[in-house]
Amino acid sequence: MSTDPNQAVACRTVDAEERSLLGRVLDRIADHCRARSLFVLHYCTGCGAIELPPTMTSRFDLERVGMQPMVTPRQADILLITGYLSVKTLKRVVMTYEQMQGPKYVIGLGSCTINGGMYWNSYATIKLLDRYIPVDNYIAGCMPRPEAIQQVFLDLMGRIDRGEAQAWKDYYRRYDWYLGQQQQLFGTNWQAPTDVVGEAIRYRLVGEQTLGSHTAHLERYAPYYDQLGIIRPEPARMKARPQLEVVSR
Amino acid sequence: MRPENYKPVQHSASHEYELYFGPNHPGIEGNYALKCVLSGDVVQSLRADGGYLHRGFEKIMEERLWIQNVALVPRICVPDPVPMEETYARAVEMLGGLEIPKRAQWIRALMLEASRVCAHLFYFGGHAATMGMYSNMFWGVTDRDLILDIFEEITGARIYHMYITPGGVRRDLPEGVLDRLSKVLDYVESRLPEFDNLFFDNAVVINRATGVGTLTTEQALSWGVTGPNLRACGLPFDVRRDDPYLIYDELDFDIPTETAGDAWARTLVRREELLQSIRILRQIIATLPKVGGPIRCALPNPLAWNVPAGSVYARTESSKGELGFFVVSKGGAKPWRVHVRGPSSMHAVHVLERLGPGSRLEDVAQIMFSLDACPPEVDR
Amino acid sequence: MNRELESLDAVFREMPDLKVEHTGPRRTRIQVEADALPTLLELLKGRAGYLHLSAISCVDWPDTEEFELVYHLWSYQVSNLISAHTRIPYDPGRYVSVYDLHAPAVYFERDIHEMFGVWFEGCPDQEPFILTEWQGPPPMRKSFDTVAYVNDTFEWREYQPEWANDPSGGKG
Ligand code: SF4
Repeated sequence: MSTDPNQAVACRTVDAEERSLLGRVLDRIADHCRARSLFVLHYCTGCGAIELPPTMTSRFDLERVGMQPMVTPRQADILLITGYLSVKTLKRVVMTYEQMQGPKYVIGLGSCTINGGMYWNSYATIKLLDRYIPVDNYIAGCMPRPEAIQQVFLDLMGRIDRGEAQAWKDYYRRYDWYLGQQQQLFGTNWQAPTDVVGEAIRYRLVGEQTLGSHTAHLERYAPYYDQLGIIRPEPARMKARPQLEVVSR
Repeated sequence: MRPENYKPVQHSASHEYELYFGPNHPGIEGNYALKCVLSGDVVQSLRADGGYLHRGFEKIMEERLWIQNVALVPRICVPDPVPMEETYARAVEMLGGLEIPKRAQWIRALMLEASRVCAHLFYFGGHAATMGMYSNMFWGVTDRDLILDIFEEITGARIYHMYITPGGVRRDLPEGVLDRLSKVLDYVESRLPEFDNLFFDNAVVINRATGVGTLTTEQALSWGVTGPNLRACGLPFDVRRDDPYLIYDELDFDIPTETAGDAWARTLVRREELLQSIRILRQIIATLPKVGGPIRCALPNPLAWNVPAGSVYARTESSKGELGFFVVSKGGAKPWRVHVRGPSSMHAVHVLERLGPGSRLEDVAQIMFSLDACPPEVDR
Repeated sequence: MNRELESLDAVFREMPDLKVEHTGPRRTRIQVEADALPTLLELLKGRAGYLHLSAISCVDWPDTEEFELVYHLWSYQVSNLISAHTRIPYDPGRYVSVYDLHAPAVYFERDIHEMFGVWFEGCPDQEPFILTEWQGPPPMRKSFDTVAYVNDTFEWREYQPEWANDPSGGKG
């Protein structure tokens, strides 16, 4: 099977430049539409969750900006992290995040997601959310008021509309780094069930740091990593392996 | 999951299967998980899995000054934070032998009861939502917001007030707030008939909730059930009356009970309690202008405050049950040990695990909500 | 006060050398040896109506290398709360479960086992509940230093004073 999307999809070979131009226009239109209909998955990880019911119900009424709570990650656009994250929850958050389909956006609510907040000296909670998943917007405050939550939604909508909210791509481009941070907490054998590298190939978002020493142990599940046209840094831990040759297509 | 990665687990042939309920699930209250073993849709056994909200409260409280902990304690229980502040403050006062001025006691009771009204309004919405009825949620949350506005006026914050400090309260009530509170109470009371039409007199709801998660009186006593859940089994026990604190012995209120002990009885008890809280608040509103005096007793320099050594167990009736703080001081600038006995710790683990088996899967969320289990309090 | 202590008469007759102290309205403190505590709880429950086990607290005393266990019992009849204090040594850090007397004890004992590492003989359930994904020592012990652990494990955000002027962080 051909893995080249240009050949697999179109009958004729599309010239790369033409494709990217068309793609950009379509993306902009899609972004514009998407910004007006967002589904929010709120994971009640912390106390900030208590301000969400007022935001969503009649008084502050989130629906008038086209947002609705969504109960499953696969249909959601926004992952709302509503406060402090214990390490145990972070694991579930990473899995939830990886299940969401791109484009996806993450909002960190409250000072706990920014720098640990009140619980800066707690052994159980993480301090910097953006070390583990990419974050688009933060809301400062402990806890943020519904008005602040709405403001951040409007801000995010504007950024999606302008095509600026691209943090999710960073997860694919630098997956090795994110995975490394996660492994630091969960142990070196940690991996989520989602095939992030496969998705990165699919979205054509493979970057220089997608693969590296931390993703090395994923390879035994996915032999096709070797056939990628990617220049990969020689991982320090894989001494036994022969020098990989760069396959050009 | 990658297909290469998938290894089917070999089970012996059985009609049972395991289902993970939560932690991120709309039917569950907060960030909490249940592992159910089911046969068909009947729960065979149920295991609670907590710790998703663990912050190590008891540990980090030992690392902070007595006065710094005032900011930390309300965060133990999110929907009903005021009893946490009150219990901690009272424990410190008992240790330090502080006498709280009368006016501060009345203001604290006002805060406690207003918080109970909030928590119960939230509860009605939550219980209805577990049956797929969301209008109640919208109403309850919106009415609760009116009380949050009063809180904001008094304390400057909507949810976490940090208003009740050891020795009294942080500042006096603003001008005219009692009138506004009394208007809000009138409004909340006038809304109750509408709640009745929608929820409490709704035949579908009644049928759906009766006989679900029934606790007998003996079970309730031996499993350590407290609060409205105990009163729904016919036992009129209330910390406010039996172990009175603040000025509760000067107030006139009833302790509503039901006898059925099921989810519906628990909801009815809370509806009645809402009315009782409004009654208490009215008494407070009538009395408070006559109670003068300071709002705080003289405190030592809070940054260099060594609370005398000793240990106390302070208890409060929160909207969920009996809340206890066991505080040990070694005479230092920081607490030596704080143990929080959250009412939900009993309800969400011990009771839920025993009530679950035999019920239907669709009722599990309802049982959990009707016990008003609050996960942050379990995990601390 | 007397009504509360009178109700304990039957208990005193069986265990004459208890140290009882009245510490406040509706609060009684009893200091008891570790081997006598289960008997005390049984007598309190059977003869004096202390049915409700409100909590079991554990306090770590590294100076004497002891854990202090405190059983808070409430009587619905006389409205009194007894705190029964007892001490057990670090080594071996074992004690008996009172699960057969008070069913709620299982939750508190599980919690203490998790947070302090005390083993309760006869407790039906001491599996990890909160710290299922924790590899370190029991965190509530005084010897565990949470600040040092946090400094080792997590990074801190660098503080940039100009954020205060531009809350969006220069992004927009
Ligand atoms: S920022 Fe404040 S309100 Fe939000 S989760 Fe942290 S402590 Fe709770």
